[in-house]
Amino acid sequence: MVKDITFGQYYPSKSALHNMDARMKLVLTFAMIVCIFLCHNFFSLGVMALFTVIAVIFSRVPVKMLLKSIKPVLVILIFTAVLNIFYTKGGETYFTLFNKISITEKGVNTAVFTMIRIVVLVVLSSLLTYTTTPTMLTDALERLLSPLKVFHIKVHTLAMMMTLALRFIPTLIEEIDRIMNAQKARGADLETGGLIKRAKALIPIFIPLMVSSFRRAYELAFAMTCRCYTGGDGRTRMKQMKLGYRDFIALLICLISLAGIIVLNRFFIKII
Amino acid sequence: MSVPIELRDVSHFYSPGTAMQVAAIKNISLTIEEGEFVGIIGHTGSGKSTLISHFNGLLKPSKGTVLVDGEDISQSKEVLRAARFKVGLCFQYPEAQLFEETVAKDIAFGPKNMKLPEDEIARRVAEAAKYVGLRPEMLDKSPFDLSGGEKRRAAIAGVMAMEPKVLVLDEPAAGLDPRGKKEIHELIRNYRSRTGSTVVLVSHSMEDIANLADRVIVMNHGEIAMNGTVDEVFSHASDLQTMGLNVPEITRVFTALHDKGFDVPPNIYSVKEGVRILRALLEGGVG
Repeated sequence: MVKDITFGQYYPSKSALHNMDARMKLVLTFAMIVCIFLCHNFFSLGVMALFTVIAVIFSRVPVKMLLKSIKPVLVILIFTAVLNIFYTKGGETYFTLFNKISITEKGVNTAVFTMIRIVVLVVLSSLLTYTTTPTMLTDALERLLSPLKVFHIKVHTLAMMMTLALRFIPTLIEEIDRIMNAQKARGADLETGGLIKRAKALIPIFIPLMVSSFRRAYELAFAMTCRCYTGGDGRTRMKQMKLGYRDFIALLICLISLAGIIVLNRFFIKII
Repeated sequence: MSVPIELRDVSHFYSPGTAMQVAAIKNISLTIEEGEFVGIIGHTGSGKSTLISHFNGLLKPSKGTVLVDGEDISQSKEVLRAARFKVGLCFQYPEAQLFEETVAKDIAFGPKNMKLPEDEIARRVAEAAKYVGLRPEMLDKSPFDLSGGEKRRAAIAGVMAMEPKVLVLDEPAAGLDPRGKKEIHELIRNYRSRTGSTVVLVSHSMEDIANLADRVIVMNHGEIAMNGTVDEVFSHASDLQTMGLNVPEITRVFTALHDKGFDVPPNIYSVKEGVRILRALLEGGVG
């Protein structure tokens, strides 16, 4: 039921990727995603694919888990492939139907290219969430955005809000489950009826949920105040983030990949 | 007369088919008879709540059948829906279910779902409010303006207003002060004596069960460990303690006296009874 929704799909392990500094991981993932869009032919895209495969091996995340993360985008994947095959024209024509629908070399190339691109994109970004806990991620984000303090943006407060929001997702799911059961026991019908009727049926669930969320928020704020929490100013960290040799090796690999992509882009014809 | 609730060899697994499969309840067979007051006790995690969620079909058994009024509730949606109204389930901390603008409207939520006529709903709301001791002027208040104990009672009234054949209450007095607890127990007793309906009370407090129920079902690790009258179950006080249940103080005193060789029954669970026996013992000139 509702409990089956997984969030922050962290996969606990002690791989090289898990042990990397979350800041470096975040920056590099972002950079490599940009790199995917720099690739203009299959050779440079091949470098990206190779990079992804190496990253997967180092993460020790089972391939099954990664396939699970591709599943939701499968529809988009097929949709873009089909569109590209039929709507991109150029090069040799392989197949024509009624003089209208035709499949060309360029169409097939583009379709395959975009598909690989999307898969690499999804795998890379899910690797980040598989190997980094949500708390580590928000922490890293806080550190990376800390220069924004110059513009009087409360980066710490925003990060804390994000951490708390993530922390309360499972709690709220449990709460919804409980309230749903209580209302079902009073004969609430959540399964049948049209759209409006179903939306109305949610009122008995969302009002109690709101009420308890506000109560929780007050209690939490109170508990934090009691422990002298006053926001980010002067606050030190228990877990200091430190760049290690792993992070520099990862950076080096990424730079080599980038160089490879640029070189291969130059020496082979652009197909996209 | 058909049996209100009957479970035949019911098991329920959480996360079935995975490595984390856990049997919450195992091979449970039991019947709840018409007009009975049954107490279900067990320590935290013994499967009490899972068990009662089967009574009205909120959970489907992984194995076995649940019969309400003699009908298998898994046979059709209609039977299941009917079972929801025949077995009124009131969960722990039921005040979390309050949502309407006024207390009266909230109590009417169940009867409204039963598609009853307006005047019948109004009658039931008034009746249920009376059972739980909510004054008429409170019915027009917002449920969120009530005190903790009043909220609890309003929520219980919401289940009572469906006039279920069987009322199932899961720890109705949890988290209340002694006075609130007493009030809740009092209203359950009142409700039962006035309507004569079947009541199932879930608790981990032996004292509460002993004072209210006729029959006790003891749950331990998802199985029925004992099933019998209050007297029968209390005569196994030491077994209950090994199951992590708190036996009333007075029972512990009497069990100890019994073990020391005094001529007293070991299964005493009310202070009044205890005093009577001790007095008789002293006047009899023992010791």
